[in-house]
Amino acid sequence: MIAGLYIFFRLIAWLLLAPLLPGIINKVKAWVAGRRGPPVLQLYYDLAKLWQKGVVLSTAVSPAHVAGPAVAWIALTGAAMLLPVGSAGAALSFRGDSLLFIYLLALARFCTAGAALDTGSAFEGMGAAREVSYAVIAEAAIITALLTLCVQTGSVSLATMLAPSAGAGAALLAAGLFGVLLAENSRVPFDDPNTHLELTMVHEAMILDHSGPPLAVILHGASLKLLLFAVLLTETVLPLGNLSLVQAVGALVAAVFIVTVTVGLVESLLARLAFRRVPLLLTTSFLLCLFALLVAWKGDKP
Amino acid sequence: MTPGWLLLLAAIGITVGLAAAFKSPRLWLTSTILSLGAALAAAIWILASGRGWDWRPAFVVGGESVHLQLDAISAFFLVLLAVVGAAGTLYSSEYWSDTAHPASAPAGRAWWNVMFANLGLILLLANGLHFLIAWELFTISSYFLITLHRDRREVRAAGWLYLAASHVAVLCLFAFFACLAARTGSWELKPMHDRADLAPLFWLGLIGFGLKAGLFPLHVWLPSAHANAPSHVSAILSGVTIKMGIYGLVRFTGWLPVPDAAGWTVAALGVISAVLGVAFALGQHDLKRLLAYHSVENIGIILIGLGFAMIASANHNPLWGQLALAGALLHVWNHGLFKALLFLGAGSVLHATGTREMSRLGGLWRAMPWTAGLFSLGAVAIAGLPPLNGFVSEWLVYLGLFDAVSERGAASFAAILSAILLAITGALALACFVKVCGIVFLGLPRTELAENVHECGWRMRLPMVVLAAACVAIGLAPVLFWPAVAAASAAWQPAWADSPLPAPLATLGAVHLAFAMLIILAVAVLWRRIRENGLSRAGTWDCGYAVPTPRMQYTAGSFAGIITGWFDWILRPQRHEQLPKDYFPAHAHFEEHTSATVLEKVVEPTGRLVMHISSAVRRLQHGRVQAYILYLLVGLAALAILVALEGPK
Repeated sequence: MIAGLYIFFRLIAWLLLAPLLPGIINKVKAWVAGRRGPPVLQLYYDLAKLWQKGVVLSTAVSPAHVAGPAVAWIALTGAAMLLPVGSAGAALSFRGDSLLFIYLLALARFCTAGAALDTGSAFEGMGAAREVSYAVIAEAAIITALLTLCVQTGSVSLATMLAPSAGAGAALLAAGLFGVLLAENSRVPFDDPNTHLELTMVHEAMILDHSGPPLAVILHGASLKLLLFAVLLTETVLPLGNLSLVQAVGALVAAVFIVTVTVGLVESLLARLAFRRVPLLLTTSFLLCLFALLVAWKGDKP
Repeated sequence: MTPGWLLLLAAIGITVGLAAAFKSPRLWLTSTILSLGAALAAAIWILASGRGWDWRPAFVVGGESVHLQLDAISAFFLVLLAVVGAAGTLYSSEYWSDTAHPASAPAGRAWWNVMFANLGLILLLANGLHFLIAWELFTISSYFLITLHRDRREVRAAGWLYLAASHVAVLCLFAFFACLAARTGSWELKPMHDRADLAPLFWLGLIGFGLKAGLFPLHVWLPSAHANAPSHVSAILSGVTIKMGIYGLVRFTGWLPVPDAAGWTVAALGVISAVLGVAFALGQHDLKRLLAYHSVENIGIILIGLGFAMIASANHNPLWGQLALAGALLHVWNHGLFKALLFLGAGSVLHATGTREMSRLGGLWRAMPWTAGLFSLGAVAIAGLPPLNGFVSEWLVYLGLFDAVSERGAASFAAILSAILLAITGALALACFVKVCGIVFLGLPRTELAENVHECGWRMRLPMVVLAAACVAIGLAPVLFWPAVAAASAAWQPAWADSPLPAPLATLGAVHLAFAMLIILAVAVLWRRIRENGLSRAGTWDCGYAVPTPRMQYTAGSFAGIITGWFDWILRPQRHEQLPKDYFPAHAHFEEHTSATVLEKVVEPTGRLVMHISSAVRRLQHGRVQAYILYLLVGLAALAILVALEGPK
């Protein structure tokens, strides 16, 4: 009973905190540009409003168009439950959960891209094609990061892998995972969430035809994914497992905030890359993770 | 009843079916399915009891006395054979019915039973000579099944290629078994670990069985044979018969000593097959060819597991070897199930529309909800996504690789490389199956072929439902199937016989189950919310364009374009294009075709070279007797000189 409640509260914390991140990013962008910008809680208002709204479905779509966002959201929430929080461990932890984590993200991708193709729109086809193609390199980078942690700790369970710091290669790993974070969450310089040209978008192009509650689910899922990657990045670098719970949570919150602000700064200061350069930048992220792996390999045995 | 009686029942059933193939399709259907059911029962008996079945009757075939045995490894493959076989049998009774194919349907039924009888015998026989006979009969019967529709030229070409490639394999296996018999003095097959001199024979077996399994670059026959065979035959080819190659490799790496490099080679071939198989699949526009290339990919995943198990077996049997082997074996089942499901689904699309060209299809879910739903389930499974069975076996292979990495031993670097490439394979497979489902079943019909279609009947639907249910069952309760996997891996490497469950399969199953229920709940909640808020329909948003047409949808080629661009170096796509020119372009077209690189750039040039040399040599034979006498004289003189040079002994 207590354990159930505990998991439930953690879940609620994840779900409630996630929409804060895009708000912070937008605030940072506005601040750099000298504007006032939308309130930090804007996404909460949007979600509440969308949940109340009616839905316009394309005449072309199948039930997959509605089921896709729901399954993707469940997959992302499940992935969040696998991530540990400092010494408190993960809500759900078992040997090999790190691989389930990667494949839950993949399932979310499958559903989002499938729901996009469902509309028969060429723009959404483009978005889906880009999403699944770039994810190939991103996935290689993530598995390399996990291999690094596995070499470091000798474990395949996220709770143990993320407890200590990634050691000497931590900076490399952080840089690599930050690139993956930007790509997987469709941020500049890989994608521009604010563009108004369907031809040049990845994630936004895939959800052109969604509206109402399904769109709310997609937007919330996207913010959850951003939080997921920010936490993953933080925990690979900081030895949160060695701190007391209060310290660990404090450090985690501070670090996630810093990552979020950095995303905002990157978004303000960099231009979006041409599409043909995106794979190159992602490959760089992959190589950074690979170098971190080599550094870990040369390091001490666990 | 004991396994022996059940197998006798299976033999009687398949023979009765064979006899009834021409006269009574219903009796054929019943007795074949019952026979496969009996075989399934026998196999489950063996796997559950853990005791093998061994029978040496007193009769002699070809100078060798018959020896049949069913141990955990062969029983493991027999389960797959029986389940997929029964599904294919029922499916074929509607798909290749007498009314639609009066000429070929009866022959198809007869060859079908011949093939299954011999597939069963291959698993049972423990005598090299008899194994070869059964193997050859199986090869030939599957040739006739592939070419059932042989009035079409490409079917005959595919059949011919299959026959030629299979016989290269048969030739290697002849050499393999003959050398084995020559060195041991008997055709009897049994564990022979103490004979280190037999190790080099592994390479012959690898080529022979590898050709059948379709590993890269020996897969040349596979895509065209799978694409051009009738779909129920494709399902068996991909689900079962290529697994016979895997069976051969598992069987003889378990029984015979192997060279030091064997495990590394198998793992490397596995990685190459996995990555390049899926890359070629992405370049295909033909639905069944695409699925065929995915067989190459999945055989690669199986071989990665087997290869690392062999490496472990050569290095004091660490437990990650068992994980890798368990993953490989479970993937044999899983791939058999979901690939058969996908081929049957593709068959039902072909049945309804008459085309395998994906870019002519689209929007089929409206008319074919069953096929679309079941095919999509198979797609999720083959992409290795939770909570279905594909993830379970890939997860076991990954765990084996990760454990090998954290051990920091000799195999670690190879394991790192394999794990990264396996992840890339997974992401590519995902892209490919998003493409297939999206282009074929979703969106709007691209041509009129996809417009007036019908759902298939229950005899085609039920087999797909059964296979899909098996995929779901292994995904949600993998621990129930673990004893079978453990029994087979213990038969392969006795050192792993008593090890505890090396992975938390029960937890994974529970997580999958909870996850599946949450998915259903979430979809229901979201759908209810939509109904409450009100739902209206409008056309797809096309950036304000006024007259969108279905032809503007993304196609299979454009969807995969980014990734196939990365693999241009091996895919070698041929592009025929006429770009729009000037201000008022009159005509433009674009066509792209991915070549079968190994076949077109390696096998065919080699074949042509052989033909050139042969025709050059043929000039010696021209029909002039005088010249022949000259050859004789020259030959004799050469012999005389040789003898003279040698001198008297």
